[in-house]
Amino acid sequence: MERRVLDFAALLRRNGIRVSTAETLDALRAAELSGLRDRTLFKSALRATMVKRAPDVPAFDSLFDLYFSGVGDMIEEIGAESAAGMSGEELQDLLDRLARLLEDLDPPPSDLARALVTQDTASLERMMREMSQQDATSPPDSPTSVPAAVRRMMDRLGAGSLAEELDRMIEALREAGASQAEIDQLREYLDKRLQDLGKMLKRMAEMEGQKRERPEERDKEKERLLDKSFYYLSATEIRQMREAVAALARKLRNLMSIRRKHTKRGRLDVKKTIRGSLEFGGVPFRIRFENKRKERPQVVILCDVSDSVRNVSRFMLQFVHSLQDLYSRVRSYVFVAEIAEVTKLFSDNDIQTAINESINGNVVNVYAHSDFGRAFKDFHVSHLDVIDSRTTVIILGDARNNYNAPNEWVLRDIQERAKQVIWLNPENRSTWGFGDSEMSRYGPFCDVVEECRNLRQLYRVVDRMILL
Amino acid sequence: MEPIKPYASVDEVRRRLAEQKYICDNNIATVVFLATQLGKPLLVEGPAGVGKTELAKVIASSTDARLIRLQCYEGLDEAKALYEWEYAKQLLYTQILKDKIGEVTQGAATLAEAVDRLTAEDDVFFSHRFILPRPLLQAIRSDDRVVLLIDEIDKADAEFEAFLLEILSDFQVTIPEIGTVSATQIPIVVLTSNNAREMSDALKRRCMHLYIDFPGKDLEHEIVRLKVPEVGSKLMAEVVGLVHALRALDLKKAPSISETLDWARALVVMNIGDLEDALVKDTLSTICKYEGDLRKAEKELSAYVQRKRADRERAESAPPPPADDKDVLH
Repeated sequence: MERRVLDFAALLRRNGIRVSTAETLDALRAAELSGLRDRTLFKSALRATMVKRAPDVPAFDSLFDLYFSGVGDMIEEIGAESAAGMSGEELQDLLDRLARLLEDLDPPPSDLARALVTQDTASLERMMREMSQQDATSPPDSPTSVPAAVRRMMDRLGAGSLAEELDRMIEALREAGASQAEIDQLREYLDKRLQDLGKMLKRMAEMEGQKRERPEERDKEKERLLDKSFYYLSATEIRQMREAVAALARKLRNLMSIRRKHTKRGRLDVKKTIRGSLEFGGVPFRIRFENKRKERPQVVILCDVSDSVRNVSRFMLQFVHSLQDLYSRVRSYVFVAEIAEVTKLFSDNDIQTAINESINGNVVNVYAHSDFGRAFKDFHVSHLDVIDSRTTVIILGDARNNYNAPNEWVLRDIQERAKQVIWLNPENRSTWGFGDSEMSRYGPFCDVVEECRNLRQLYRVVDRMILL
Repeated sequence: MEPIKPYASVDEVRRRLAEQKYICDNNIATVVFLATQLGKPLLVEGPAGVGKTELAKVIASSTDARLIRLQCYEGLDEAKALYEWEYAKQLLYTQILKDKIGEVTQGAATLAEAVDRLTAEDDVFFSHRFILPRPLLQAIRSDDRVVLLIDEIDKADAEFEAFLLEILSDFQVTIPEIGTVSATQIPIVVLTSNNAREMSDALKRRCMHLYIDFPGKDLEHEIVRLKVPEVGSKLMAEVVGLVHALRALDLKKAPSISETLDWARALVVMNIGDLEDALVKDTLSTICKYEGDLRKAEKELSAYVQRKRADRERAESAPPPPADDKDVLH
């Protein structure tokens, strides 16, 4: 059992679940207590000791089934399939007869033949497992090599002489004076079992392949998403990205709570210290410090939601609104040519609904041509008063203005009032300022101008923003 | 130092917890059994309101142990979790006992001798007398059986978690003024987490892990039956069914078991016999705590009621069993 638990731990590790040596030892002790007889008990024991993250539980479950019960279940299933044509009694009768026949056979049949013919699942399972352990050094790496793996396993099991042995059984039966019908029935059954063995080995090879085939896909996937440009996201990737953004936001929030704590402690508070010392007869036993009050930043986001940058806007909005409690106030605006506030959408709905509402065209016409100048001017007229000296203004857009009036003076006014202005551009930096890109006009009135083409860059920007 | 081994088998865990009106599946029972046998802390995770804290409480009551609870929150530190040194009391004692100290040092020929004499007594001032034990120290020092519940560990800071590690692995703490205090027996430790923050691997490694999810329909039935027996079985099936349907929706906060129970109790108090009652709508606030969720729940409820009505009408308007048809045909 020890061996198998250790192997299983290695299997878990190969699949991206972290299992430490100490945990494996715990698992062994727990397995000793639970015993192997009750499978659910055994499974619970292993799960409690080896899997400590809820998201890993499904992976553990499927691997457990694959490793501990996959083979047995598979053998039984295939056996049941081929016995489907017979009633239970008939089968039992046949098996009994075969058992008697095998007793008398000289020379005695091989273990494999005996187990296969008498449908001895336990022995078959054991043999196959032993074989696959020997085989572990040369795993079938790809599905194409399954036939080769089957052949190799056949050899190792000594299945080459199996057909002969089965023939010998029939011969023995004939000598014992069985009727032709009986012999035919038996031949049919034995042929079936021989085919079953082939099936079993094939499934076994596939299962072995499965075990090895799941490397740390998930982690790699995440890494890939981080660097993938927002321009080329498929619908599924948008969904995955949403989760990635949520995870990053959570991470950031954790980090923040630590950072904030470190910056909290301020100067010695003399008044409080003296007042506290009264309790100890005037001895200042406990030194009190001022709590530095850190102002939480206010954020105003202006998001371009035209076709070309919609994806970035989507994730930026998700990011900022999932971190809402880190800011004292977040106000969001979306624009293409007209501009509209969507803050209320976010307070009334859950984040995803609000985002979809904001960018689907109900709030502003998303089929218009981008016009930053007009959007800025409108903002200046009706919303400028939301910006004060504590506000960080974030503008998200490619600054492609379709040769309209850029109205960069609005940005100048905003910068004068705001604490700072950050421009995030989802275009490659080398293309800024060419064609209808007005980045070179807007740039001078921003405190920070950043390229923001993928999640990694977005995360970095948000991270810095909070520190401000 | 031996772990308390209060249960002899997994079945016993189930039985004893059931006696305390806590119904659990085999997985929970197994993990509780193993954790108590191996003397390992038990880290329980899962959505809010599935009975994580309750589990610790019933483990305590089923084993006749005292429950010591440490509620975690942001900014929780050693002084509030482990012990606090009572300077004020110590100071007070020194003041009051000034004369006595004078007596002790009286007649000392040199200052050194006076100090020596005082030093001989100095344990008096650095003793357990002046320590205010907080939950962790209480659990370690306790002579009788205890269950230590560290609730919502995810709310505490990462530093506190690191500090817990020492205690959870050795069950001993070092108090500079006194020395090391070790537990006489390993207490049963239960940590709960709502996963507001991922726990560190070091902590997880030392614990047995248990994930409690929302129960299946049958289990929830049993729980409701046990806790709110006044609910009729028909209403109970409806309640559990609807709650399960709600959990499948995309709600801001899925209704928990405790909320199912609250709702069942509310329905009993309001004397509502089945979900078609118009008053049911007003009781939904017991299971949904957000405005948006409430609206979704109302929609789900009315859909359910309509479905039920349609079923009934179909059943009523269905042709009577074709007993007489034969006669007509012939």
